[in-house]
Order: sequence, then C-alpha cells, then structure tokens
Amino acid sequence: MTKSMYELQNVTKNFLVNGDEHIVLEDINLTISSEDITVILGASGCGKTTLLRIIANLEIASSGQITFLKEKQKAVPKVGLVFQESRLMPWLTVSGNIGFHQKATKEEIAYYLKMMKLEKFHNSYPNELSGGMAQRVSIARALSFQPDFLLMDEPFSALDYFTRMEMQKEVIRIHKETNKGVLFVTHDLDEALTIGTRIIVFTKEHKLKEFSLSNREVDRVDLKQRILNTLR
Amino acid sequence: MEMESKKSKLAPLKGYLIFFVLLGAWKIACNMGIWSSYLLPPPEKVAATFLKMLENGTLFVHIYASMHRVVVGFVISAAIGIPLGIIFGMHPRVYDYWKVLFNVIRNVPPLAMVPMLILWFGIGEKSKIIIIILASFFPIFTSTLKGIRSCDPKLIEVGKAFELTRLQIIRKIIIPNAVLDIAVGLKLALGYSFRAIIGAELVAASAGLGYMISDGKEMSRSDVVIVGILVIGLLGVLCDWLFSILVRKVSKGKAVEAYD
Repeated sequence: MTKSMYELQNVTKNFLVNGDEHIVLEDINLTISSEDITVILGASGCGKTTLLRIIANLEIASSGQITFLKEKQKAVPKVGLVFQESRLMPWLTVSGNIGFHQKATKEEIAYYLKMMKLEKFHNSYPNELSGGMAQRVSIARALSFQPDFLLMDEPFSALDYFTRMEMQKEVIRIHKETNKGVLFVTHDLDEALTIGTRIIVFTKEHKLKEFSLSNREVDRVDLKQRILNTLR
Repeated sequence: MEMESKKSKLAPLKGYLIFFVLLGAWKIACNMGIWSSYLLPPPEKVAATFLKMLENGTLFVHIYASMHRVVVGFVISAAIGIPLGIIFGMHPRVYDYWKVLFNVIRNVPPLAMVPMLILWFGIGEKSKIIIIILASFFPIFTSTLKGIRSCDPKLIEVGKAFELTRLQIIRKIIIPNAVLDIAVGLKLALGYSFRAIIGAELVAASAGLGYMISDGKEMSRSDVVIVGILVIGLLGVLCDWLFSILVRKVSKGKAVEAYD
C-alpha cells in the first residue's frame, strides 16, 4: 500500500476585505496521512474550505509551506477534488463526465461506473440525475483521475438525510477499497463522527484541535461532547 | 388513456388551425367583394399562380437566387462571427477597444447602408451579400460572446483542479459551454438574413424573392406578390425548424423552450 501524506508548516492565509486585512488561517501546522479519513470540522466561515482549497492548489497560502510526501519522497500530488456541488459538465454524459480529464481509459470508466453503481445511467446527462447520483458521478470523476488524495469539500451538504447516509458509507468503502487518502471538510459533527478516523476541529480562536477515532473503542458520546465543547 | 395519446399526437397540429380560419376568412371577404380582386386576389387565383410558377420553374429561380445569397452571406458571417466572439470573449480587454465601434455598426439597420453599398460595390451580388453579412454577423457574434463570457467559473475551476491547461480549458469547457448560445445565434441570424436580403432585392436585383415581389407590384400582379410573401414565410419556417433541430441536438437536455 502506497503511503502518502501532506505536511503543512506555518500556513497562513489573509484576505483583503474592503482594504482591511482579514486573517482566515494563522500558523497552521498539520500532517494529513493517506491511512486516515481525515475530517476537517468547523463552523461556517472558519476557514476549512480555504484550507482545503490551499491543499488542492486552487488558492495560494499567504505564507507557510505545504509538502507532499509519497513513500517518504517529496512529490507533486495528484488530487481528486469533489466539490460541494457536483459541478458536472452539463453537455457530457455520465461516462463523458467521469472521463472528462482524459486520464481514464474506457475500461477504467466502466470500472468506476460499476463501483459507483451508475452502469444504467452511463448515457444520461447531468440534468437527468438526482442530487445523490450526480455527486456519485463527481466522486467517480475524481477517482478515475487516479489521485493520490481525495479532497472533498462538504460534498453531501445539499443531499437529503438518507442519500447522505448512503454516500457516507460510500466514502468509507472507497477509502478501504482504494487505499486513497481522504480529506473531508464538513460542518456536520455527526457526519464527521460517521466517516472520520481522525477529526481536526477548527476552534473559535482559529486554532486546530485533533481527535482520533482510529481506536474503535473510543466512547463516541463522550467524544462528541468534547468536540462540541471545542466548537462552542 | 387512448384519448389522451390521441390528444398528445394532435397537439403539434393546433398551431396550423389558424391558417384554415384565415383562409376561410380570406375566401369569404373575396366573395363578399369587400375589396377589389386587384387589392386582394382570391385564394384560388394565388394558388393557381403558385402552381404555374412551380411548373415553369420561375419560383425555383427566385428561391435559388435568394437562398444562394443568404447561404453565402450567412456562412461568411458565421466564419467571422464565431471566432471573433470566442477571441473577444476570452480577451475582454481587447474587446474594450472594439466595443463602441461594434455597437455603432450594430445599431445601423443594414438596409440603411444599401445606397452606399450600391455606390461602392455596384448592384451585383457583392452588395447584397455584404448586406446579409451586416444583418447576420451581430446575432452570431453577440451570442458567441455571451456564451463564452457566461461560462460558470466553477466549471473552469474543475478544469484547473484536474490539471487541464488553459487551451484544454477553452477547448473542453468554455467552447462546449457556449455551443447552445452559438446555435441560437445562428438561428436568429438566419432569420435576420432573410429579412435583409428581401429588402436588398426590393431595391436592386434582377432575380430573387424580393425582386419577384417588387416586379409583381410593378406589373400590378398582387397574386405574385402574395405568392412571394407566402414563399418567404414558408422558407423562414423551414429554416427555423431545421435550426431548432440543431439547437435541440446541442442543448443536451438544457431548457431551450425560450428560443422556440
């Protein structure tokens, strides 16, 4: 199993809002391993999406360093990004969307169609899909890119309760089946507890606090309470 | 159930019922002698003239002359308008230098240019094709420009996230996203081309549907004028229908009713 990890050192991000400097992230030090499903949890506007976008290279940190290590060697990461909305190309079919980046063969597209239970809909257009199905296509698109890491930005926030539950199970299954690292951003504590093996919480003071769930015997009720106290 | 399926099959024909009503009203008005047959020839006389012109081929000569001008002008407009719309859509700062000039030309009706075009290019084909280009260029250009500009930045971000180059983002996201707008622009432009060519032929031509109408007027043949008007309408509807198929094909399930 290929082990990879992100190392964030003193990452800071400022924005200028009406001429005033607004600090979103301050001196973030963090290690994210591919062995975990790492969940970044925090209230709206705390900077969790900004952190994910910096890791995905969609935004540049004001200062600090992000290093990606693959088998302990520095490498350029390949990232499979799943957005809050499915962001599918409306003019492409499900198959076309999965292979949109041209990094997947026909066989690979068929494999991911099967994995995400989308075989019947391979010729459908995004406007013919339900929200859950569209998000599954979006995940399949990210996976077919053969990424080192799957970065997911509140991907299920627009879905109904039952679809969300199903999709959360899907993420756990994908992590187990593909051994790909997952970095999952959410503001939903229950979602974080369901899928995460490691939870990183944004505190009110813009600091990070970590909670591990890798020990299966952890008292979840107690953990939930401790995370809630951190968030409040 | 059977009744419902019959109803849905007949639904597209609803729009044609009005023609039977108008035809009936026309016939009744002629029989009552409200207007002289010179001002409003009876439908059967117009139908006979139409058939006669079909038989002796004069109608085809005029249709061909008009269609040829429209197609040539339209193709040139598309060949210039689409690439220019893409370039200016991608480089808004460059477009800023051209915007005012384009707006001035766009607001001048092509027919207002006829006297100058005849002076510069004569009464031959050139001036008529230029009129078509002036009429059809802007719908194509502005629709392409709108399609390129309105590309959702979130989709472009998907391209960046999947390591697409700038050229790949243009080719795989921005242009496909604009295809529906381009198709709608082409459809509009064709209608504008028809209107402009008939106007140009009314002023100076020796063949074409506009000339046919003008000649019919000169010869006091209102039946020929009406045949000309009806043929233009039919050709317009036919071209519109063909382009509707194109628009639906490229829309891939997007809502296109607004363009019908």
